[in-house]
Amino acid sequence: MARRFNNKLEQQQAPAFFVHGPSALARLAFFSTLSLALMAADSRLQYLLTVRQTLQTLLHPLQVLANTPSQLYRDASEYLSTHDYLLNENRQLKQYALQQDIALQKLNTLALENEHLRQLLEVNKTIVQGGVAAEIMHVGRDMFSRKIILNRGQTNNISAGEAVVDAKGVIGQVTRVYPLSSEVTLITDKSLAIPVQIERNGLRAIAFGHGRDSTLDLPYLPANVDIRRGDRLVTSGIDGVYPTGLAVATVTKIEVTQDSPFARIICTPTGGVENHRQVLVVSLPHIDVQAESGLSSTQASGSSVDTTQSENVQVAPKPIDAQKAVKVMPLNQKSKKNAHE
Amino acid sequence: MPTNKLKSIYLSIILALILLLLPCSGFVLTMRPDFMLLVIIFWLIRAPNLCNVGTAWLVGLFVDLATGGVFGQYALAYTIAAFFAVTYQKRLVLFSSTQQLIYVFLLLFISQLIMLVIKTFAGAQFMGWTYFIPSITGVLLWFMAGLFGLDVGGRNRGN
Repeated sequence: MARRFNNKLEQQQAPAFFVHGPSALARLAFFSTLSLALMAADSRLQYLLTVRQTLQTLLHPLQVLANTPSQLYRDASEYLSTHDYLLNENRQLKQYALQQDIALQKLNTLALENEHLRQLLEVNKTIVQGGVAAEIMHVGRDMFSRKIILNRGQTNNISAGEAVVDAKGVIGQVTRVYPLSSEVTLITDKSLAIPVQIERNGLRAIAFGHGRDSTLDLPYLPANVDIRRGDRLVTSGIDGVYPTGLAVATVTKIEVTQDSPFARIICTPTGGVENHRQVLVVSLPHIDVQAESGLSSTQASGSSVDTTQSENVQVAPKPIDAQKAVKVMPLNQKSKKNAHE
Repeated sequence: MPTNKLKSIYLSIILALILLLLPCSGFVLTMRPDFMLLVIIFWLIRAPNLCNVGTAWLVGLFVDLATGGVFGQYALAYTIAAFFAVTYQKRLVLFSSTQQLIYVFLLLFISQLIMLVIKTFAGAQFMGWTYFIPSITGVLLWFMAGLFGLDVGGRNRGN
């Protein structure tokens, strides 16, 4: 016991007033100021992207190491899965593939027909977007924002602003690209907005992430809007980032109060981050900047995408048209007034 | 002796970083203690000549990197928590285990509070009191570490 205590005394070699170097308070002041400066530089000026990318590459081996246990567990459980289970799954998948094949045959015919009709009407060609398959490495650790990290990065030609979808629907947008991984902001994040359309009647709106729980808000829609519970929201595609017609969310709750001209509409996303590991990163459509200057000038605050990050991005990938939203507002108030009269 | 200890400091920090990088979500994420800050507090108490406020700042920077947040927020939180740990380090060594647990809890709580303030400035909403659970699990981890023989410095009055 006495030895233990002696040990403890030895560890503190000299009292504080003999230790050379600045005092704790001076250090606190210095490092706090440095942190504040860093925060400002990072969030406002965005100088630190290359630093971040370099350090992230250094952290990558550790990340792979941290992912190893769960990977091993998954591999082991895959290896140990029973013969019966595999047979069953195989049968189901075959059936599923057959159904999909039939649907795809129809789709091919329809696509050709559509193309033909579009040529007849001299409408612009629809944009064909390619994609990169990726896997979710981990869900973001910051409890205040909703982000996931994918295992594909700059080396796989992923650039900031690209849409990320899974089998059930849209999940988010690539916001930061590192050499070997990329960060995706989910549609439920507060800083991300996505232009949607109600599948039933084609009404356009913008869905904003709620931030706190995994739901979406549809603000700026009048109280008398034609929307019902269970309506499916799909991407409208007018932003030039998300392909048209991908499922985004289903309307789960509509609240209309007397004191607000707007309806409070809450939707649940159809795509799930918790359920799937495989996602598809849809590459940005390549459009001339001149032709799209009108679109890029209307870009507004919605998305957290940073266009300065990548040279590949030709169109500012800010998926929102705030002007429309603003235009709607006075209209609503007028209609509300009329209703009162 | 110091080189040996320096090695174990580096090793424990890397270990904490790996623990931080472990993929987890949902319930586990809300329960997960702040491994990094615990390690830093431990070394601030045990080896104040090797580890100081600057170390905490540097480690905080790596946590910022790992979490993908704005640079400097964890660094600031850790710096301030480390300052309090360093200021009362002499007394902390002489504290009883219970007193020390309370003090460590306060340090963890301070760092979380600073993070909350920074995030609120950035426009985030308070997510409810479950946000502070990591402080409690962190103290539990500290307590368990003491039980399993890691000398966390608190003196047992009984012995």
